[in-house]
Amino acid sequence: MKSWRLLPLRVDEPFYSMAIDEAILRLKADGKSPNTLRFWRWRPSSVSLGYFQSLNREVDLEVAKKRGVAVVRRITGGGAVFHDHDGELTYSVVCGQNDVPRDIEKSFEAICEGLIRGFKRLGLDACFSPLNDISVGSKKISGSAQTRKWRCLLQHGTILIDPDIRLMFELLRVSPEKITDKFISSAYERVTSIKRELGEKPSFEEVKEAMRLGFEESFGIYFEEGELSSEEISLAEELKEKYASSEWLMKR
Amino acid sequence: MPYAEFKAPKGIIKVSLKLDGDSISEIRISGDFFMYPEEALDELEGRLVGVRADRESLLEALEKFYSETKVETPMIEPKHFVEAIMRSLRG
Repeated sequence: MKSWRLLPLRVDEPFYSMAIDEAILRLKADGKSPNTLRFWRWRPSSVSLGYFQSLNREVDLEVAKKRGVAVVRRITGGGAVFHDHDGELTYSVVCGQNDVPRDIEKSFEAICEGLIRGFKRLGLDACFSPLNDISVGSKKISGSAQTRKWRCLLQHGTILIDPDIRLMFELLRVSPEKITDKFISSAYERVTSIKRELGEKPSFEEVKEAMRLGFEESFGIYFEEGELSSEEISLAEELKEKYASSEWLMKR
Repeated sequence: MPYAEFKAPKGIIKVSLKLDGDSISEIRISGDFFMYPEEALDELEGRLVGVRADRESLLEALEKFYSETKVETPMIEPKHFVEAIMRSLRG
Protein backbone atom coordinates (compact mmCIF):
# COMPACT_ATOMS: atom_id res chain seq x y z
CA MET A 1 0.00 0.00 0.00
CA LYS A 2 1.28 3.45 -0.88
CA SER A 3 1.87 6.01 1.81
CA TRP A 4 1.15 9.72 1.69
CA ARG A 5 2.26 12.37 4.14
CA LEU A 6 -0.23 13.85 6.60
CA LEU A 7 0.77 17.21 8.09
CA PRO A 8 -0.28 18.46 11.54
CA LEU A 9 -3.22 20.86 11.67
CA ARG A 10 -1.91 24.41 11.35
CA VAL A 11 -3.38 27.83 11.97
CA ASP A 12 -1.71 30.50 9.85
CA GLU A 13 -2.26 33.87 8.30
CA PRO A 14 -3.72 33.57 4.80
CA PHE A 15 -0.73 34.65 2.70
CA TYR A 16 1.50 32.10 4.36
CA SER A 17 -1.12 29.35 4.02
CA MET A 18 -1.46 29.99 0.29
CA ALA A 19 2.33 30.00 0.01
CA ILE A 20 2.62 26.65 1.81
CA ASP A 21 0.20 25.04 -0.66
CA GLU A 22 2.16 26.40 -3.62
CA ALA A 23 5.51 25.42 -2.08
CA ILE A 24 4.38 21.81 -1.60
CA LEU A 25 3.05 21.73 -5.18
CA ARG A 26 6.30 23.12 -6.63
CA LEU A 27 8.50 20.79 -4.63
CA LYS A 28 6.29 17.81 -5.43
CA ALA A 29 6.89 18.70 -9.08
CA ASP A 30 10.64 18.73 -8.40
CA GLY A 31 10.39 15.27 -6.83
CA LYS A 32 11.30 16.70 -3.41
CA SER A 33 7.92 16.54 -1.68
CA PRO A 34 5.67 13.50 -1.26
CA ASN A 35 1.96 13.29 -1.95
CA THR A 36 0.49 15.26 0.90
CA LEU A 37 -2.76 15.87 2.75
CA ARG A 38 -3.03 18.72 5.20
CA PHE A 39 -5.70 20.50 7.19
CA TRP A 40 -5.48 24.08 8.31
CA ARG A 41 -7.36 27.05 9.67
CA TRP A 42 -7.27 30.74 8.87
CA ARG A 43 -6.19 33.49 11.28
CA PRO A 44 -7.66 36.00 10.91
CA SER A 45 -10.88 34.89 9.23
CA SER A 46 -10.41 35.54 5.53
CA VAL A 47 -12.01 35.60 2.12
CA SER A 48 -10.14 33.67 -0.55
CA LEU A 49 -10.79 34.77 -4.08
CA GLY A 50 -10.65 32.50 -7.13
CA TYR A 51 -7.73 33.16 -9.47
CA PHE A 52 -9.99 34.67 -12.15
CA GLN A 53 -12.22 36.74 -9.92
CA SER A 54 -12.33 40.49 -9.74
CA LEU A 55 -11.51 41.73 -6.24
CA ASN A 56 -13.87 44.68 -6.32
CA ARG A 57 -16.75 42.83 -7.88
CA GLU A 58 -16.68 39.93 -5.43
CA VAL A 59 -15.73 41.23 -2.00
CA ASP A 60 -17.17 44.04 0.06
CA LEU A 61 -13.84 45.48 1.16
CA GLU A 62 -15.42 47.88 3.64
CA VAL A 63 -17.12 45.08 5.50
CA ALA A 64 -13.88 43.09 5.40
CA LYS A 65 -11.92 46.01 6.87
CA LYS A 66 -14.53 46.73 9.53
CA ARG A 67 -14.71 43.09 10.60
CA GLY A 68 -10.96 42.45 10.46
CA VAL A 69 -11.30 39.92 7.65
CA ALA A 70 -8.27 39.45 5.38
CA VAL A 71 -8.58 38.93 1.62
CA VAL A 72 -6.26 36.78 -0.49
CA ARG A 73 -6.24 35.59 -4.10
CA ARG A 74 -5.73 31.86 -4.70
CA ILE A 75 -3.77 30.23 -7.52
CA THR A 76 -6.82 28.05 -8.12
CA GLY A 77 -9.92 29.08 -10.05
CA GLY A 78 -13.46 28.85 -8.73
CA GLY A 79 -15.41 31.16 -6.46
CA ALA A 80 -14.86 33.34 -3.42
CA VAL A 81 -14.96 31.53 -0.08
CA PHE A 82 -15.32 32.87 3.45
CA HIS A 83 -12.98 31.05 5.84
CA ASP A 84 -14.24 31.59 9.37
CA HIS A 85 -11.45 31.17 11.93
CA ASP A 86 -13.84 29.53 14.38
CA GLY A 87 -16.08 27.61 12.04
CA GLU A 88 -14.22 26.35 9.03
CA LEU A 89 -11.51 23.81 8.29
CA THR A 90 -9.59 23.87 5.02
CA TYR A 91 -7.94 20.87 3.42
CA SER A 92 -5.25 20.67 0.75
CA VAL A 93 -4.17 17.71 -1.33
CA VAL A 94 -1.01 17.74 -3.43
CA CYS A 95 -0.34 14.71 -5.63
CA GLY A 96 0.85 13.68 -9.05
CA GLN A 97 -1.41 14.25 -12.01
CA ASN A 98 -1.37 10.48 -12.50
CA ASP A 99 -2.65 9.77 -8.98
CA VAL A 100 -6.13 11.00 -9.98
CA PRO A 101 -8.24 10.68 -13.15
CA ARG A 102 -7.24 12.85 -16.11
CA ASP A 103 -10.81 14.09 -16.55
CA ILE A 104 -11.28 17.26 -14.49
CA GLU A 105 -14.71 16.47 -13.07
CA LYS A 106 -13.69 12.89 -12.25
CA SER A 107 -10.57 14.15 -10.49
CA PHE A 108 -12.62 16.54 -8.34
CA GLU A 109 -14.92 13.65 -7.55
CA ALA A 110 -12.06 11.28 -6.69
CA ILE A 111 -10.60 13.68 -4.13
CA CYS A 112 -14.03 14.72 -2.82
CA GLU A 113 -14.80 11.03 -2.23
CA GLY A 114 -12.31 11.06 0.64
CA LEU A 115 -14.19 13.95 2.24
CA ILE A 116 -17.58 12.35 1.56
CA ARG A 117 -16.47 9.24 3.44
CA GLY A 118 -15.21 11.53 6.19
CA PHE A 119 -18.58 13.30 6.40
CA LYS A 120 -20.26 9.87 6.58
CA ARG A 121 -18.03 8.92 9.50
CA LEU A 122 -19.27 12.07 11.22
CA GLY A 123 -22.86 10.92 10.59
CA LEU A 124 -23.70 13.02 7.55
CA ASP A 125 -25.15 11.70 4.32
CA ALA A 126 -22.97 13.74 1.98
CA CYS A 127 -22.74 13.43 -1.79
CA PHE A 128 -20.72 14.88 -4.67
CA SER A 129 -22.33 17.76 -6.45
CA PRO A 130 -20.51 18.45 -9.74
CA LEU A 131 -18.36 20.20 -10.55
CA ASN A 132 -16.62 20.87 -7.30
CA ASP A 133 -19.00 20.78 -4.33
CA ILE A 134 -20.20 18.36 -1.67
CA SER A 135 -23.78 18.62 -0.46
CA VAL A 136 -25.92 17.33 2.34
CA GLY A 137 -29.55 17.29 1.25
CA SER A 138 -29.41 19.95 -1.41
CA LYS A 139 -27.20 22.26 0.63
CA LYS A 140 -23.51 22.87 0.11
CA ILE A 141 -21.23 21.80 2.96
CA SER A 142 -17.90 21.81 1.12
CA GLY A 143 -16.46 23.42 -2.01
CA SER A 144 -13.13 22.74 -3.68
CA ALA A 145 -10.78 24.32 -6.18
CA GLN A 146 -7.98 22.76 -8.17
CA THR A 147 -5.01 23.63 -10.32
CA ARG A 148 -2.71 21.43 -12.35
CA LYS A 149 0.86 22.48 -12.98
CA TRP A 150 4.07 20.68 -13.84
CA ARG A 151 2.30 17.28 -14.04
CA CYS A 152 1.11 17.74 -10.46
CA LEU A 153 -2.13 18.75 -8.90
CA LEU A 154 -3.21 20.90 -5.97
CA GLN A 155 -6.77 20.69 -4.73
CA HIS A 156 -7.88 22.62 -1.69
CA GLY A 157 -11.27 23.32 -0.27
CA THR A 158 -13.50 24.26 2.56
CA ILE A 159 -15.22 22.11 5.19
CA LEU A 160 -18.02 24.10 6.82
CA ILE A 161 -18.12 23.26 10.51
CA ASP A 162 -20.00 26.23 11.94
CA PRO A 163 -19.34 29.42 9.97
CA ASP A 164 -20.99 32.79 10.50
CA ILE A 165 -23.32 32.62 7.49
CA ARG A 166 -24.59 36.18 7.88
CA LEU A 167 -21.04 37.55 7.80
CA MET A 168 -20.28 35.24 4.86
CA PHE A 169 -23.01 36.83 2.78
CA GLU A 170 -22.18 40.35 3.92
CA LEU A 171 -18.59 39.90 2.75
CA LEU A 172 -19.32 38.24 -0.57
CA ARG A 173 -20.74 40.93 -2.79
CA VAL A 174 -24.45 41.18 -2.82
CA SER A 175 -26.01 44.63 -2.67
CA PRO A 176 -26.62 45.64 0.98
CA GLU A 177 -30.38 45.95 0.62
CA LYS A 178 -30.50 42.24 -0.22
CA ILE A 179 -29.09 41.31 3.17
CA THR A 180 -32.55 41.19 4.64
CA ASP A 181 -33.89 38.39 6.76
CA LYS A 182 -35.44 36.97 3.62
CA PHE A 183 -32.11 36.82 1.85
CA ILE A 184 -30.37 35.26 4.80
CA SER A 185 -33.03 32.57 5.05
CA SER A 186 -32.51 31.74 1.39
CA ALA A 187 -28.74 31.58 2.00
CA TYR A 188 -29.53 29.14 4.79
CA GLU A 189 -31.32 27.05 2.21
CA ARG A 190 -28.25 26.86 0.01
CA VAL A 191 -25.48 26.37 2.57
CA THR A 192 -25.25 24.13 5.60
CA SER A 193 -22.61 23.08 8.14
CA ILE A 194 -21.66 20.11 10.28
CA LYS A 195 -22.99 21.87 13.38
CA ARG A 196 -26.31 22.56 11.73
CA GLU A 197 -26.75 19.00 10.48
CA LEU A 198 -25.58 17.23 13.63
CA GLY A 199 -26.78 19.66 16.25
CA GLU A 200 -23.34 19.82 17.80
CA LYS A 201 -19.97 21.13 16.79
CA PRO A 202 -17.17 18.56 16.59
CA SER A 203 -13.61 19.67 17.31
CA PHE A 204 -11.29 20.50 14.44
CA GLU A 205 -9.18 17.45 15.31
CA GLU A 206 -12.24 15.17 15.18
CA VAL A 207 -13.13 16.45 11.72
CA LYS A 208 -9.55 16.06 10.57
CA GLU A 209 -9.40 12.48 11.84
CA ALA A 210 -12.68 11.53 10.11
CA MET A 211 -11.45 13.00 6.84
CA ARG A 212 -8.05 11.31 7.14
CA LEU A 213 -9.75 7.91 7.47
CA GLY A 214 -12.04 8.80 4.57
CA PHE A 215 -9.06 9.54 2.33
CA GLU A 216 -7.27 6.36 3.37
CA GLU A 217 -10.33 4.33 2.38
CA SER A 218 -11.09 6.08 -0.88
CA PHE A 219 -7.49 6.22 -2.13
CA GLY A 220 -6.43 2.85 -0.71
CA ILE A 221 -3.40 4.48 0.90
CA TYR A 222 -2.16 5.08 4.43
CA PHE A 223 -0.86 8.29 5.92
CA GLU A 224 2.42 8.79 7.63
CA GLU A 225 2.48 11.76 9.92
CA GLY A 226 5.15 14.19 8.82
CA GLU A 227 6.26 17.79 9.00
CA LEU A 228 6.95 20.45 6.40
CA SER A 229 10.53 20.12 5.17
CA SER A 230 12.95 23.00 5.66
CA GLU A 231 12.95 23.50 1.90
CA GLU A 232 9.16 23.77 1.85
CA ILE A 233 9.28 26.28 4.68
CA SER A 234 11.87 28.49 3.03
CA LEU A 235 10.09 28.39 -0.34
CA ALA A 236 6.81 29.26 1.41
CA GLU A 237 8.49 32.24 3.11
CA GLU A 238 9.57 33.43 -0.31
CA LEU A 239 6.20 32.86 -2.02
CA LYS A 240 4.35 34.61 0.79
CA GLU A 241 5.48 37.99 -0.58
CA LYS A 242 3.57 37.35 -3.82
CA TYR A 243 0.33 36.54 -2.04
CA ALA A 244 0.68 39.58 0.23
CA SER A 245 1.32 41.97 -2.67
CA SER A 246 -1.39 44.32 -3.87
CA GLU A 247 -0.38 43.51 -7.44
CA TRP A 248 -1.41 39.89 -6.92
CA LEU A 249 -4.54 40.76 -4.97
CA MET A 250 -5.74 43.23 -7.58
CA LYS A 251 -4.76 41.11 -10.57
CA ARG A 252 -8.37 41.23 -11.78
CA MET B 1 -16.70 50.38 -19.59
CA PRO B 2 -19.81 48.42 -20.66
CA TYR B 3 -20.20 45.45 -18.35
CA ALA B 4 -22.34 42.32 -18.13
CA GLU B 5 -22.52 38.94 -16.44
CA PHE B 6 -23.66 35.63 -17.81
CA LYS B 7 -24.44 32.57 -15.73
CA ALA B 8 -22.93 29.55 -17.49
CA PRO B 9 -23.55 25.92 -16.40
CA LYS B 10 -20.54 26.25 -14.08
CA GLY B 11 -20.00 29.70 -12.79
CA ILE B 12 -20.58 33.26 -13.79
CA ILE B 13 -18.59 34.91 -16.58
CA LYS B 14 -18.16 38.66 -16.10
CA VAL B 15 -17.04 40.84 -18.97
CA SER B 16 -16.22 44.51 -19.31
CA LEU B 17 -15.03 45.87 -22.64
CA LYS B 18 -14.38 48.87 -24.83
CA LEU B 19 -15.03 49.12 -28.53
CA ASP B 20 -13.14 50.95 -31.22
CA GLY B 21 -15.64 51.14 -34.06
CA ASP B 22 -16.91 47.59 -34.55
CA SER B 23 -13.99 45.89 -32.87
CA ILE B 24 -12.97 45.17 -29.31
CA SER B 25 -10.17 47.44 -28.13
CA GLU B 26 -10.06 46.42 -24.48
CA ILE B 27 -11.58 43.48 -22.58
CA ARG B 28 -11.46 42.15 -19.05
CA ILE B 29 -12.94 38.75 -18.23
CA SER B 30 -13.41 37.54 -14.67
CA GLY B 31 -15.52 35.00 -12.82
CA ASP B 32 -15.66 31.89 -10.70
CA PHE B 33 -14.97 29.35 -13.45
CA PHE B 34 -11.94 27.08 -13.89
CA MET B 35 -9.49 27.28 -16.78
CA TYR B 36 -6.49 25.00 -17.21
CA PRO B 37 -3.87 26.35 -17.61
CA GLU B 38 -4.85 29.52 -15.77
CA GLU B 39 -2.52 31.77 -17.78
CA ALA B 40 -4.65 31.08 -20.85
CA LEU B 41 -7.17 33.71 -19.81
CA ASP B 42 -4.61 36.48 -20.41
CA GLU B 43 -4.00 34.98 -23.82
CA LEU B 44 -7.73 34.88 -24.56
CA GLU B 45 -8.13 38.55 -23.66
CA GLY B 46 -5.18 39.38 -25.90
CA ARG B 47 -6.64 37.43 -28.81
CA LEU B 48 -10.02 39.15 -28.49
CA VAL B 49 -8.56 42.62 -28.98
CA GLY B 50 -9.19 43.62 -32.59
CA VAL B 51 -11.93 41.03 -33.11
CA ARG B 52 -15.21 42.32 -34.55
CA ALA B 53 -17.85 42.38 -31.86
CA ASP B 54 -20.42 40.15 -33.54
CA ARG B 55 -21.46 36.66 -32.55
CA GLU B 56 -19.91 34.93 -35.53
CA SER B 57 -16.47 36.55 -35.30
CA LEU B 58 -16.35 36.03 -31.55
CA LEU B 59 -17.27 32.36 -31.80
CA GLU B 60 -14.61 31.85 -34.45
CA ALA B 61 -11.96 33.51 -32.25
CA LEU B 62 -13.04 31.48 -29.21
CA GLU B 63 -13.02 28.17 -31.05
CA LYS B 64 -9.61 28.91 -32.50
CA PHE B 65 -8.36 29.75 -29.01
CA TYR B 66 -9.66 26.43 -27.65
CA SER B 67 -8.21 24.33 -30.44
CA GLU B 68 -4.83 26.07 -30.57
CA THR B 69 -4.14 26.33 -26.85
CA LYS B 70 -5.72 23.02 -25.74
CA VAL B 71 -7.26 24.95 -22.89
CA GLU B 72 -9.80 23.16 -20.70
CA THR B 73 -12.74 24.85 -18.99
CA PRO B 74 -14.93 22.25 -17.27
CA MET B 75 -18.63 22.82 -17.96
CA ILE B 76 -17.91 25.99 -19.93
CA GLU B 77 -17.79 26.17 -23.71
CA PRO B 78 -16.78 28.81 -26.27
CA LYS B 79 -20.43 29.82 -26.73
CA HIS B 80 -20.71 30.77 -23.07
CA PHE B 81 -17.88 33.29 -23.37
CA VAL B 82 -19.48 34.59 -26.56
CA GLU B 83 -22.80 35.04 -24.79
CA ALA B 84 -21.15 36.94 -21.91
CA ILE B 85 -19.37 39.23 -24.39
CA MET B 86 -22.54 39.83 -26.42
CA ARG B 87 -24.37 40.80 -23.24
CA SER B 88 -21.65 43.24 -22.29
CA LEU B 89 -22.13 44.96 -25.66
CA ARG B 90 -25.72 45.59 -24.70
CA GLY B 91 -24.85 46.26 -21.07
